[in-house]
Amino acid sequence: MATVRNWQLGRDMEYPYAADRPKKQFTMIMDTNKCIACQSCTIACKSTWTWGKGQEYMLWNNIETKPFGFYPTGWDVNILERLGEQQWDGDTYGGQTIFEAAPEGERVLGWTPAEEDWSHPNIGEDEPTGNAEDTTYIPDNPHSLMWMYYLQRICNHCTYPACVAACPREAIYKRPDDGIVLVDQTRCRGYQECLTACPYKKTMFNLETRVSEKCIGCYPKIEQGLQTQCTTSCIGRLRLTNFLSHPDEVDPRKPADYLIHVKRMALPLYPQLGLEPNVYYVPPVHVPTKYLTQMFGPGVEHAVETYRNAKDDEELLGLLMLFGATERIMDTWKVSGGVARAYDEAGDEIVAVPLREPTFTRPFEFTTDVKGVPTAGYRHNT
Amino acid sequence: MADSTITRRDVLLYGGAAAGGVVAAGAGVVALAHAVGDKKTPVPGAPIVAKYVDGDLPVTDPGADAWKDAQPSLVPLVAQQIAQPFLEEAGVAELDARALHDGNELALLLEWDDDNVDDLDGIHRYHDAVAVQLPTKSGATPPALTMGAPGTPVHVLQWRATWQRDIDSGGKTGVDQIYPEVVHDVMPDDVLPPRTAAYYWVGRKAGNPLSQKLRTTPVEEIVAEGFGSVTHLPHQTARGHAVNSGGRWHVVVAVPTARTGVGEPLRPGSTWPVAFAVWLGSESNRGARKQIADWQTLTLEATS
Repeated sequence: MATVRNWQLGRDMEYPYAADRPKKQFTMIMDTNKCIACQSCTIACKSTWTWGKGQEYMLWNNIETKPFGFYPTGWDVNILERLGEQQWDGDTYGGQTIFEAAPEGERVLGWTPAEEDWSHPNIGEDEPTGNAEDTTYIPDNPHSLMWMYYLQRICNHCTYPACVAACPREAIYKRPDDGIVLVDQTRCRGYQECLTACPYKKTMFNLETRVSEKCIGCYPKIEQGLQTQCTTSCIGRLRLTNFLSHPDEVDPRKPADYLIHVKRMALPLYPQLGLEPNVYYVPPVHVPTKYLTQMFGPGVEHAVETYRNAKDDEELLGLLMLFGATERIMDTWKVSGGVARAYDEAGDEIVAVPLREPTFTRPFEFTTDVKGVPTAGYRHNT
Repeated sequence: MADSTITRRDVLLYGGAAAGGVVAAGAGVVALAHAVGDKKTPVPGAPIVAKYVDGDLPVTDPGADAWKDAQPSLVPLVAQQIAQPFLEEAGVAELDARALHDGNELALLLEWDDDNVDDLDGIHRYHDAVAVQLPTKSGATPPALTMGAPGTPVHVLQWRATWQRDIDSGGKTGVDQIYPEVVHDVMPDDVLPPRTAAYYWVGRKAGNPLSQKLRTTPVEEIVAEGFGSVTHLPHQTARGHAVNSGGRWHVVVAVPTARTGVGEPLRPGSTWPVAFAVWLGSESNRGARKQIADWQTLTLEATS
């Protein structure tokens, strides 16, 4: 075991391998508030990468309804239950990670989903109830509202991946250039240890080739400076594919660094598990803080408040407007004169988006001319 | 020691001077085996003597008469608890091993109790398997039991039930067999030229030997220098065949004695350490989660 720094936990932790951060880290930012679970991302991914025989059940990308949706079933509640109740001391995690809680003879505290857990990819869809009194029922609310929201899930391309830790073959690796985590398809011997170890359950076993596969971060697109398929197909424009700097070299001009480290508006998924996951979420503003804290850590209230005030922060608002505005990967951005502009690494502009679309008002009643006769008209649904 | 868990400490001992003691103790049991004289009853701890056969080796027939003349040795198995991940509990306690050779090829018949035939790989679905481990070089000290160590490799022959089914069924060992009622939408190989469709089976296209379903042998020949270092040999020479009957696997594993490009030849009259591992698919065994045996002694009978 090596001691490594996990900035999301605010402390060092134990991991089987020494820290070896990539030059820059592939990251994705998801604004959960904009998702309608149309699954365009899921289909874009599926039709690009996993429509082969043996990959039928594979969804490298999926959208699930929280709190009752999962794929595979129970992926998060199962590991949370196994880990047991843990504690944050302010911004520092005082509990155990899944590496620190590993039982004797194991490198990671894990569990293996059963076959049927992979059989219901959209279980709990749009389901806000369940055992209402004990869970999502909010009696204080004047409308007795239940809550639910959509969680967008891909591989987290973790800084400290559990799949890498658990693979006895060292067949899974993190690319030094961009931190994308890949399974070496020639080296894997199909032990499925990664399926047991990954708490996010984002490695999957190919039934025809008998080796593990996983989200590849659309690396052939990344290498061309393009955002992933799930990002560019998102009709809600809620995703941003970007790169995160080393946590000690944060550059506020970079979109991911700005949203994650400067504004602290995008938060990691279950950071307490200890993997330093690199998909970051703008939390849903309408969900109880207690639940969100369990899922995204102690920065939830600050993130929600920042998001609610984004309308008054042109720099932040401009960046959010640039989500989904271009297929290219944005390196920096600037906002001036009511327009947000994105730039590539060479500093060339790749897209410009107005903060507010121009508005035109057409009166309901107007005067027109019918066969030379002035006539009062009105608009209806045209 | 063979009836308890093998610990890290034991392994260190085997890697060093104590190994000589293991071989010496084995020699003592040879006399016992001959004294018992019953060639059909497996003898615990007896050296495995590969009987010389002047004719064809029954490599594809575990039930052949020739095997009945070979003395089986009872090999104790324990849960692998040296390298992570561990096997918590052994699901099978012993393996019967016997051997034959014809001067050109060494064949072992390995048998163990297993009611469940696990010969498809799927989601949380693993296969039965057995492996034979031999040093690549002769010498008084066997390599580390832990699949060798850097600088002291081992030569491993692994049989998998999935590969046996690959051969027996002509490669029908995928989705359609795991889920016989499956209804497929259009698949890449339905609509794309074969060369293009092949890219949708990445492991196969990348040349991973595990991903090939059209194979000629159910036994893979590999070298290793420690756990996790298994390397598929570019030139595969091992053969074998298996059947499961009476709630028991009967697996023949054979390899040319020349071991060209792998290690020293297995000459008639020579004695070698040999170790085994068994996997039970129904017990979620795979990789390091296996039953292992301590080093045993294998002697190839002289040809004259």
